[in-house]
Amino acid sequence: MAALPRRIIKETQRLMAEPVPGISAVPDESNARYFHVIVTGPEDSPFEGGLFKLELFLPEDYPMSAPKVRFITKIYHPNIDKLGRICLDILKDKWSPALQIRTVLLSIQALLSAPNPDDPLANDVAELWKINEIEAIRNAKEWTRKYAMDN
Amino acid sequence: MGNCLKGTSNEDISLLRENERSSEQQIEPIQPSSYRDRTPVFYPTPNDGRPANQLTEEEQVRIARRIGLMEHLPILAYDDSINKNKECVICMIEFKIGEEVRYLPCMHVYHVSCIDDWLMRSFTCPSCMEPVDAALLTSYDTN
Repeated sequence: MAALPRRIIKETQRLMAEPVPGISAVPDESNARYFHVIVTGPEDSPFEGGLFKLELFLPEDYPMSAPKVRFITKIYHPNIDKLGRICLDILKDKWSPALQIRTVLLSIQALLSAPNPDDPLANDVAELWKINEIEAIRNAKEWTRKYAMDN
Repeated sequence: MGNCLKGTSNEDISLLRENERSSEQQIEPIQPSSYRDRTPVFYPTPNDGRPANQLTEEEQVRIARRIGLMEHLPILAYDDSINKNKECVICMIEFKIGEEVRYLPCMHVYHVSCIDDWLMRSFTCPSCMEPVDAALLTSYDTN
């Protein structure tokens, strides 16, 4: 494997020195491009109180292409599908090399606070979110309690 | 946002495996420092890298035009009294005084090799997302 680019080393050091509030991202012992991530559910969201595990991988041509990020913890959210894949523009066509691991994780945290059922990835979830938001939020809280607490 | 439902059906669950598979499809793994020595890979769109001989004529024309426009973007020596950025946001390495940097029309600066690598994928400024070609044409009009 090629040597680790200076940028990845710097980003990792800065993440360790100044962690993002509510987010932990730790590189894997055997692969410095693979990060174990934990995002705490934002306050005043249906995910409050939950700890959500994610995996983040920096591809070979990072930062020219976006990190690959996936939820490992099950989550009831219109923009996250059952495999944990995330519908977020900056992970796809709006990626820019000026963005970083830090900004990506902040955007994911923001997506938890502001679900967008008009741009769905999980269609059934988005559908309910639009028709009956109260019930959707109840489901999201239920899943948070069931899958994102005490683990 | 959007386009998230497109082409997601055959994606793999594991990110690591997905990465291995996509590098197989690209024939050789792409390493920014060394891919220029091999068959050059071009990006008609940011997430679609293909060797030069697998591009359509239209894509070749678009890429050639882009390379032509890039030559109009000035390269100047870095001056820490003018430039407020101390490091290149792409590689995160500090600029050295007198080092050659490329200026985009929005006045954001980057190392030449860093920004050229990006502009070949997306003709936008990484910092402000301003389309470079539109800004170039505007600057022609006003001059």
